[in-house]
Amino acid sequence: MSSETGTELRASDAALIERITQRDQTALAALYDRYAGMLSSVLIRILRDTQTAEEILQDIFFQLWSAPSRFDAGRGSLPAWLMVIARNRAISQLRRHNPAAGEPLVEATAISTFNIESAASQQQLLGRVKGALASLPPEQRAAVELAYFDGLTQSEIAKRTGDPLGTVKTRLRSAVETLKRTLHSAAASTT
Amino acid sequence: MNAHPTREEDFDLYALGALEGDEKLAIESHVGSCVDCAHKLAQAHGRIALLALAAPPYEPSAAVKQRLMQQVHSDAERSTAVPASVGVPSRISERAPRETPRSGEFFHRWWAAVLVPAGAVLALATVLLWTENRQLDRQLATLRTAVDQQQQQLQEAREAADMIQSHDTVTIALAQQPGMPTGAAHVMYNAKMGMLMYDGEIAPAPAAKSYQLWLVPEDGKPISAGVFNPVSGRTDHWMMKLPQGIAAKEFAVSLEPAGGMPQPTGPMVLIGHA
Repeated sequence: MSSETGTELRASDAALIERITQRDQTALAALYDRYAGMLSSVLIRILRDTQTAEEILQDIFFQLWSAPSRFDAGRGSLPAWLMVIARNRAISQLRRHNPAAGEPLVEATAISTFNIESAASQQQLLGRVKGALASLPPEQRAAVELAYFDGLTQSEIAKRTGDPLGTVKTRLRSAVETLKRTLHSAAASTT
Repeated sequence: MNAHPTREEDFDLYALGALEGDEKLAIESHVGSCVDCAHKLAQAHGRIALLALAAPPYEPSAAVKQRLMQQVHSDAERSTAVPASVGVPSRISERAPRETPRSGEFFHRWWAAVLVPAGAVLALATVLLWTENRQLDRQLATLRTAVDQQQQQLQEAREAADMIQSHDTVTIALAQQPGMPTGAAHVMYNAKMGMLMYDGEIAPAPAAKSYQLWLVPEDGKPISAGVFNPVSGRTDHWMMKLPQGIAAKEFAVSLEPAGGMPQPTGPMVLIGHA
């Protein structure tokens, strides 16, 4: 995880976004330090291509600089929003729907009750997410990972694994129910 | 407005990108006109986004931040620059008496007239080449991924063929247990390779239930070898890799809560002794 200066470490995401609106470059640098590692990890995991992953990473932050108002701090969590964008861009890339550089950041609102604005809370939550995934039966975990990291739909997972579509649907439903339950109980201790 | 999704987990499945076709369209068309469901979908996006944390940690190279900040700096300079250099000379030229250009000035203007378009052409060519290079890089990455996937499928097909031909592979018939749903299956198992193939036809599982195949070792607890929900009249078939070297005592199919369990909890529907 990159280090932030003392001042930036204390600034909330919302405050840094406000400063980016006022064209403060150090605020963007602080947000980059805060979330670039997290975003590039998921980009690399999906794309398995460092160069493309770093191009998308740079583009996401430049778009944040160009249009910070696209993120509405009142409606969601910045890291969750950024992670949704990073994952969607990477999956688009995988599916050969190559997003043109400079594609605007128009993505779904993502509300998260978790605090992941500091490296320490990211690490704490990382353990809980890994624990939640590890608690799933292997088949359910594999199905979730194929959907999230490989961008496969239910029928594509069935085709990839050779399992009946009904089985895959059941596995995914059970998996997301378990994850929701597990992560909800974890939320209380990270907020 | 179409109906609310009947299952809460539909929002998470949508956020996961797993839904498709009518199921996906139903969510998309509904949340546009339902504030409550749009909120639930946003919460699901927030939850599913956390899975990103499970990716192996990777730190981008310092050059990425450097390039980003240069790009930002250039953008800031462009947006704050006053376009005085565009307007002022024209006003001066309107007021100043026309003079015959001196030879040096003429020479300078001639070079400017040649070099500026040439520079523009070069810049355009550079941008086009760079764009083409990026597209080729992306196509190459996609092709590499496709080749990797095909190699993986080929490897799996080879392993399946090796397993079927191997003398170490045993075939076990799984018989229906009294009072249980109608069905029959057989398992091919190779302990040395740690590979298992299941073929069977069994009545669909009751609501909220799944079938689960178990390898029961000679020593130790049963090992899950697949959770499935059969469709009436269709044969289930799959291949699974398990830890190598596990001597099997028997194979069994049990009826479990939907999605399967870490250990068998429900009645045994099919059993076959190795």
